[in-house]
Amino acid sequence: MSFDLGYAGDDGLTVTINGELDITNVDALEAAVGSALERHPERLIIDLSGLRFADSSAIALWVRWSTSVPEIELRDVSPILRRVIDTMGLAGTLNVKP
Amino acid sequence: MTDGGPVSGAEGGTARGTEGEREAGAAPAASEGGRWPFWLPVGVLLVGLILTGVLVWISASTYSSNERRLLNLRVHDAGALFSGAFAAIQTPLASAAALADATNGDVAKFMRFVTPYTTGKTPTFGSVSLWRLGADQTAPLAVVGTPPVLGATPSRAEAFFATTAASRSRLGVIGLLTTPPRHLGYAFTSRGLAGRYVVYAESRPLPANRRSRFQSTSTFSDLNYALYLGKLQRPEDLLVTDLEKLPLTGQTANLSIPFGDNSFTFIVNARQPLAGSFPERLPWLIAVVGVLLSIGAALLTLRLVQRRTHAEQLAGSLERIAEENRELYSEQRTIAQTLQHALLPEKLPKIRGVETGARYEAGVEGVDIGGDWYDLIALDDHRLLLVVGDVSGRGVRAAATMASLRYAIHAYAAQNDPPATILTKLSRLVNVGATGQLATILCALIDVEAHELTVTSAGHLPPLLISDGKGTFITGAVGVPIGVNTGATYTSTAVSTPRAGTLLAFTDGLVERRGESIDTGLERLQHAATANHCELDQLLSRLLEELRHDGDDDTAIAGLRWLD
Repeated sequence: MSFDLGYAGDDGLTVTINGELDITNVDALEAAVGSALERHPERLIIDLSGLRFADSSAIALWVRWSTSVPEIELRDVSPILRRVIDTMGLAGTLNVKP
Repeated sequence: MTDGGPVSGAEGGTARGTEGEREAGAAPAASEGGRWPFWLPVGVLLVGLILTGVLVWISASTYSSNERRLLNLRVHDAGALFSGAFAAIQTPLASAAALADATNGDVAKFMRFVTPYTTGKTPTFGSVSLWRLGADQTAPLAVVGTPPVLGATPSRAEAFFATTAASRSRLGVIGLLTTPPRHLGYAFTSRGLAGRYVVYAESRPLPANRRSRFQSTSTFSDLNYALYLGKLQRPEDLLVTDLEKLPLTGQTANLSIPFGDNSFTFIVNARQPLAGSFPERLPWLIAVVGVLLSIGAALLTLRLVQRRTHAEQLAGSLERIAEENRELYSEQRTIAQTLQHALLPEKLPKIRGVETGARYEAGVEGVDIGGDWYDLIALDDHRLLLVVGDVSGRGVRAAATMASLRYAIHAYAAQNDPPATILTKLSRLVNVGATGQLATILCALIDVEAHELTVTSAGHLPPLLISDGKGTFITGAVGVPIGVNTGATYTSTAVSTPRAGTLLAFTDGLVERRGESIDTGLERLQHAATANHCELDQLLSRLLEELRHDGDDDTAIAGLRWLD
């Protein structure tokens, strides 16, 4: 797993996640992005175009993030991941964009 | 639950694995031992000493042959010097003999010619005399210098001159005249036709003790020498030496220098090494350095050997520690599993008309407790609550959340709350912002008498209902997982149940595979569940066996079968 942080506009934070995100590296990502979230961005955009796999702990991380920002958006979510998110009833909470 | 259940099965597997590792770990230790640890250092020492010995021998023999060569060069140099000196003796005598012959024994001319050789600072001769051959030989015709010693013994003179005359035109050497002081006597016969005259000379007296040194400034001051008359080095033939005591010892070089009809033997040895003292000391230097280096190398080798032994011991103990760790790890894993099972129902409730079963399988990786659980709660004699849940994450925190959710459900169930109310109330309890955790929960109420099934899902995978060989997922309204929204409300889906059928509720470990859609996993479950016609317990075991894939996720599955 690797990730990039970017800033979109004045209040937007973009996290681009690549590779596989699961229980083994979720904590590392959360710790790394934590300080950026402490600046209270208005919008958090999670770019998943480079994500190959995410397990339920990854989804839980995004849900946690969703509670700390006013607006969240999941971009470029793969159909497989989209189906899991739908199964969990989280498409609205995570504001999934195709 | 039957005896071959998941708890005992998992423990049995762990115990077997541990013993196998123990046996494998013990094997390499037995092959060690019994080897003398010092053979390598001793070998290095021996090789070093042998090499040193060879080098010492080579340098010593090189030194020795070099000294011999230099000594030979020196003795030849000295020989050339002597040859020059002997020519200085022979030439005036030959000339005087020729003069006597030519002047028919003119005494005055003879004396005038010879006098310069007997006078001066370093006269060549002590005595020179002219004799006539064949005549009365008891007295010389003329004498220059001191009277000849030979004159005192006319018979010896006669015999000597007879021999000398035979070897005409050569210097005849009578030898050492022993009358003190010693002289060396020699004679030259004229080479004229008549050969009538003999010029006889005696050397100046030899040093009384026959001892004389080279001058310290001389080229040969670094040599000891001895000069003998003749080839035999007899003490009585010794002319001169610089030593107190003969013979010369050590490495010597000798040279035979012709002198008339006789010869001198010149022997030298070196007072000090001719090539300087360094080549002489070199073998000793090599010996000392070589021995020291050999000892040093041996000690170094010894140290390396000891370190290696130490490292091997260390590796052995590391291996033991690793083994202990493996044991601890598996022990810890067993503890975690025991704890997990403690949080699961000890005994499933029995209700007339239905059969129940459940399985929990821990993920194989790590010792953390998983967050999956199942529960079956009898509400009364005909109603049963079936719960399957999955707390995100692992470890003690996930287990604690799981325990609190489980007991809360028991409490709400005791209040006779329907599934939708139970989950709605639960969602007030957990907040992801506070605990960081989510839980997906499926809550199903089975009313055996009313043949009704009421299902509520908080983000959980749908249950599978199998009847008449067909499997159907009950996909009703799905609410958000518990923890996402403390204000969430849940709705339920009710279906009527078959007279005979099976209900399966499970967590994602049973159907999820990386890189594959969840729908594929659900279809696989659907197929496997309808294909297996067997007892409920057996069905659950088979499904776990057939469907769990990578096994890194824990899995819970609960089943209920309506008995016709």
